[in-house]
Amino acid sequence: MEDKRSALKKIILDTKTLPTLPGVISKLNSLSDNDKASVQEMAKIVSSDQVLSARILRLANSPSYGFYRVSTISNALILLGVNVVKSLALSSSIFAIMEKNSVGLWEHSLGVGVAANLMSRKLGLSECEEIATAALLHDIGKVIISLKCTDAEMEILRIVRDRRIYILEAEHEVIETDHAEVGGWLAKSWFLPDKLSEPITFHHDVAKSESHRIKTSVVHIADVLIKACGFGNSGDCYVPRIQQVAWDTLNLNEQILSEVVGEIEDKLVDVKNFSLEMIGA
Amino acid sequence: MQKIPLMQAKAGMVLARDVFRGDSSTVMPICGKDTVLTDDLIKRLDQMDVQSVSVQGHPVWEEGELSYEDLLRELDRRFEKTMQDPLNSILYDVHKAQLIRSMEGDSGR
Repeated sequence: MEDKRSALKKIILDTKTLPTLPGVISKLNSLSDNDKASVQEMAKIVSSDQVLSARILRLANSPSYGFYRVSTISNALILLGVNVVKSLALSSSIFAIMEKNSVGLWEHSLGVGVAANLMSRKLGLSECEEIATAALLHDIGKVIISLKCTDAEMEILRIVRDRRIYILEAEHEVIETDHAEVGGWLAKSWFLPDKLSEPITFHHDVAKSESHRIKTSVVHIADVLIKACGFGNSGDCYVPRIQQVAWDTLNLNEQILSEVVGEIEDKLVDVKNFSLEMIGA
Repeated sequence: MQKIPLMQAKAGMVLARDVFRGDSSTVMPICGKDTVLTDDLIKRLDQMDVQSVSVQGHPVWEEGELSYEDLLRELDRRFEKTMQDPLNSILYDVHKAQLIRSMEGDSGR
């Protein structure tokens, strides 16, 4: 059993075919470790790659963050923080693929980003931008599976269609792992901080998240809420079971849920427009 | 209540929510709820960069848009695996209430 999984891990993490890590990132990494680096210095490095800067700014202006008109990289660094800008830079090549090939998954991801952001603000949590970013990236494993194991992905989707089961179950049958674990491998190989990689890895099993359970809980619930709205397409149409541990961790109740759902429904019109604009661009 | 792009707004529709300038929702509203839209007003809102407005009822039906019964059927299908779960059934009720409200007039805000 272990064999298929580790073989897959090897294929997926084969650096030669992994979406490229922009050279700018390693420069940024070495800079941000050095505490004295100023936002200006960092902004200068990122801005030297124009395509990358454009992609980061488009994402920074997405409804997932709720800022409007972030017009410069230094603004993005100040408003979103170094971690977020770095992970947007990393994931922008993946998003570029997603926007074109899997519009449904792209919309689902944007929607979960919006829901996570609204919820963490409502609950008064800290690091809302990090939570929104983890939510935006939570299904990144699905993109990688689709890129690296196209046949397996077709088989998975066929099983979901024929037997009306969750995509997570179908993934276990076909590739003996699932998109959450695959996303976790990817996040690790990119050296994303734990506060981003943990919610990605455990958004279907919140109890296993130890250091960042609050963030993981938000991403899990946001995923459930967007699936309940029927927005986007994440592979199957079924609302996952809300995990009690996430509900308890966030101290949720019907009142909060109802308010958040109302705000999400409102915002989804903007999300739809944003994604249409990006695809049209 | 229905949120529609300003382009689809027509004279005679009634605002279900206050309208704010396009770039922020923290300042004073520029047009109050319950206002009946006129061609002139829609033009002014457009000049003020307003992208969308919320109007009473459900005046705009787009091609392919589902009826209340269809939407409810879809909702049931999405919840078919988890309806029995106590937490999910709370979420189901929230959505159903939302659906009913979206087909009716007032939004409470």
